[in-house]
Amino acid sequence: MIRFENVDKWFGTLQVLAGISGEVRRGEVKVLVGPSGSGKSTLIRTVTRLETIQGGRVLVDDADIASRSVDINRLRQRVGFVFQAYNLFPHLSALGNITLGLTKLRGLSKAAARERAMEELARVGLTEKADEMPGLLSGGQKQRVAIARSLAMDPQVMLFDEPTSALDPEMVGEVLAAMKRLAAGGMTMICVTHEIGFAREVADEIWFMEAGRLIERGSPAELASSQAGSRLGAFLRKVGPG
Amino acid sequence: MLEILQNNWLLFLVGQYPHGPIGGLVMTLFMAALSLALCFPFAIGLALARLSPYRWLRLPATAIVHTVRGLPLIMFIFWTYFFSPLIIGRAVGGVETLVIALVVYEAAYLSEIIRAGIEGLPRGQTEAATSLGLRYWPTTIKVVLPQALHNMLPSMVSQFVSTIKETSLGYVISAHELTFAAAQVNNVLLTQPFEVYGILALTYFALCFALTSLARLIERRISAGRGGAPGIVVAA
Repeated sequence: MIRFENVDKWFGTLQVLAGISGEVRRGEVKVLVGPSGSGKSTLIRTVTRLETIQGGRVLVDDADIASRSVDINRLRQRVGFVFQAYNLFPHLSALGNITLGLTKLRGLSKAAARERAMEELARVGLTEKADEMPGLLSGGQKQRVAIARSLAMDPQVMLFDEPTSALDPEMVGEVLAAMKRLAAGGMTMICVTHEIGFAREVADEIWFMEAGRLIERGSPAELASSQAGSRLGAFLRKVGPG
Repeated sequence: MLEILQNNWLLFLVGQYPHGPIGGLVMTLFMAALSLALCFPFAIGLALARLSPYRWLRLPATAIVHTVRGLPLIMFIFWTYFFSPLIIGRAVGGVETLVIALVVYEAAYLSEIIRAGIEGLPRGQTEAATSLGLRYWPTTIKVVLPQALHNMLPSMVSQFVSTIKETSLGYVISAHELTFAAAQVNNVLLTQPFEVYGILALTYFALCFALTSLARLIERRISAGRGGAPGIVVAA
């Protein structure tokens, strides 16, 4: 579904991704963990070309996303992206945030888009907030609207870039719950997160990154049994029990 | 002063209308509003071109903006006044001349305001729109411009204030506006220039002060709407 092949990226002279290779198959949930600045967010941002890469290839459904024959805007509709800062459109209601893509890209009528958006709001438990402006929603509600906005485009993959890092602790649960439901429903997902408990519960595989390199990977169970002496083990002990 | 105003208020307000062309305060406001409205599309175009990733769009737009901003308005008024008859083959009235010159001039200034508004938006806004699969134009029209223009409302009112003051330059080409009306009154009275131009000054001041206050009010509203984040500084 998504394949990274020797991906290199530099910001100026700083190499932020160094020879990353890995594959995410349909229906899998990968969780990226690692210290801040290790390149986790940058890596998932390369999938929809929010970041360009200087070496290697990123493939989605076996097509190189950098190739001219790939319509990047079509690809972006198939790959949902959820940001740490939610990035809701503040001048549109919760519903308007979701219907924008449906009317502009899917050519749905206003009524049809509204109906579709209400379905997605129901999935994240926010139908009663449909007409609220983002400024009046809590952080957790904003992030759930942002998830609904992505899901409304019927993506085949969802990328989460630290979706709970900007949230107050009491709101983390509601967002993680929405993500767990999504994973249970078979969605292919790559999640950058510090929520180790979530990773243990949901991840098919955890990727541990440090300084732009993917230095360890394995299922939560494998990592648990081998983590005593590893870098990942040390990292997990530092971020606390999940 | 009151007596002058009593005898001449209609001239100050509408010029020689209905016995001659409409002028005075009404024409001043009309010209300022019309030029701002007409320059708006150009200003948006210039702002977008200056932010374009394409050099062939960015460079000419930047050159235009810098050139216009580096020249006094009265140059544009003279150029329009003397050259447009050569181009279109007939004399051009003072009002048309002034409006054309103002559109060119204000477009450059307004484009800088709009550019600042666009650049002031969090990058996440375009990233979120892009991530949905929206292309450049839908992103610009549905996501970027509504927010940028909303945030820029106070600055635009300030720009309207400057435009009102700039219409007074129309006097040199006999555009019938407020300053021209005051000059006419002064020519009739001959002996009271201080009072006449005092009235003129007070009229401009009252108008511009009211609009600047309006800008401040809008600014407070906007920053309250954003949850108290500091707004844009208004300078008029």
